[in-house]
Amino acid sequence: MSVFLVGLIGIAFFFGLVMVRMPIAYAMALIGFVGFSYLTSVPASLDMVAKELYNTFTSYSLSVIAMFVWMGFLAYYSRIGTSLYVFAYKMVGHLPGGLAIATQAACAVFGAICGSNTATAATMAAIALPEMEKYNYDKSLSTASIAAGGVLGVMIPPSVIFILYGTATEQSVGTLFMAGILPGILLTFLNMVMIYLLTLRNPSLGPAGRKSSWKERISSLRGGLGEALAVFILSVGGLFAGWFTPTEAGAVGAGGVLLVSILERRLGWEDLKKSLVDTTRTTAMIMLMLAGAVIFGRFMAISRVPFELANWVGSLPLPPFAIMGMILFIYLILGCFIDALALILLTIPIFFPVVVNTLGYDPIWFGVVVVLVVAMGVITPPVGMNVYIIKGVAPEIPLETIFKGVWPFLGTIVICLILLMIFPGIATFLPELLTAL
Amino acid sequence: MKQLFGIVKGITSIMDKLAGLCFFSVMLLIVANIILRTVFNQPILGTYELVGFLTAMGVALALAHCAFQDGHISVSFIMEHFPRKLQSSAAVLVNAASLILWVAAVWSLGKYGHTMRIKGLVSPSAEIPVYPFIYLVAFGLLGLSLVLFYQFLASFGKVLGNDSAKKVAR
Repeated sequence: MSVFLVGLIGIAFFFGLVMVRMPIAYAMALIGFVGFSYLTSVPASLDMVAKELYNTFTSYSLSVIAMFVWMGFLAYYSRIGTSLYVFAYKMVGHLPGGLAIATQAACAVFGAICGSNTATAATMAAIALPEMEKYNYDKSLSTASIAAGGVLGVMIPPSVIFILYGTATEQSVGTLFMAGILPGILLTFLNMVMIYLLTLRNPSLGPAGRKSSWKERISSLRGGLGEALAVFILSVGGLFAGWFTPTEAGAVGAGGVLLVSILERRLGWEDLKKSLVDTTRTTAMIMLMLAGAVIFGRFMAISRVPFELANWVGSLPLPPFAIMGMILFIYLILGCFIDALALILLTIPIFFPVVVNTLGYDPIWFGVVVVLVVAMGVITPPVGMNVYIIKGVAPEIPLETIFKGVWPFLGTIVICLILLMIFPGIATFLPELLTAL
Repeated sequence: MKQLFGIVKGITSIMDKLAGLCFFSVMLLIVANIILRTVFNQPILGTYELVGFLTAMGVALALAHCAFQDGHISVSFIMEHFPRKLQSSAAVLVNAASLILWVAAVWSLGKYGHTMRIKGLVSPSAEIPVYPFIYLVAFGLLGLSLVLFYQFLASFGKVLGNDSAKKVAR
């Protein structure tokens, strides 16, 4: 049997194990271990597994994950999101669909201190849903706008998915963070426009709220926005300025949110403990998946699947954009079934050489595009994580109602994606600007 | 089974608390290092290595509790469409295969740690011996294996129709 065929059989077995509910991290490690054993020897494979596990867990560059994850949970438990939302809806709450528009703005700013789409969606669901209910918002619009707003959490830095992409492809995390800013702002704007157009056509979807005075607006600035911006500028700004490594930026961010929350009495002892418990669980899940992906990647490398695939794609009589379109379509389909983090770790070692080396696309641009595509998976059926989180906050709203409302926001992501394909500068402009300075 | 549930829960919970402490220490260490480096021009020797070691400890110690809470991502919507008996049978196989994998990893890490101990390998700057951290990673995976062993028994109990196992596994 050729090594390539062994690799393909390994991939098929991997999907088989995932389908029978084996955790993705275990399945990657198991197939990687068995496949590597088959192609080399069992002792060599055991040795490889031990070294990769130890090296992954002790990696300084990967410790950034724990820090940014904790930063996000601290922001969640300290309820900074509430103040952000209050400020946003005092600014635009009087417009048709204003509360849903305010949710997008609050999600975008909250995303600047939280790198997780689920934490962003959970935070905003708890705050924004009761408000929208009070003003008789259509349930589809209210829930789906929060689910879609959660996507902004992964696009606007810091973002755990960008960290994983950077780790898997050896790209600078700082550059990736910077590349995500403009697409994140663009998506926020597109979501706002979509909500405005929907409510303009059918005002009963999102009735306008009370107009706040400028005095009220300015006073709502206190508590929330200022702190979020200060922490973001110090942490991510320090990373962009070259003062900190990504891990240091994460630690400064977590320390900053902790300090601000304690000083403002937003965070009690129980909240701090909860934030740490959530951080250990999420970090362990991500790091084991990373280790599994590294072990699986070692098997893939000796089976030559990525190289053969790259050669095959290179020989196809199709223009690069058509191949790129096919790859993104594969991501879109897989993203409906597999978690975004796992999907990135699993597929990047296979598709990255094809896209960057064979098709010649910019690796940073590809990172932004691929994160945007897999982020669609968090709001699409059947495993749209954000939708289930909102369902958890509002169990009385049927899942179908939320999924029905998601369609227009999938449209905005597709528009954002098309704009990124036509104008790659949306992603690459800021990193290039920083390099030029 | 209930007793085993309590033991596993207790052990994983303690390990998880220690993991939280590790991550807290990572943040403090990095921030302290930045302040000392910037203000006094005196960084903490070996911060880079210590952060790596503490992170490894945190991750390893958190693995078991994460598994105990079903925190490791899996795709469940396909199996949900199958009869309960078949789901339980699949869970037995999945847990058994996972258990074998991680026990093998524990054994291999133990061997690796032993080799590093004999070689006397230390970290480059602070010259901290590496082997205790390899053993700690092995210990964390041993905790994960304990959870998988419990989950294997619970799923096996479900296949046999053992109600108490069913209740505890829930």
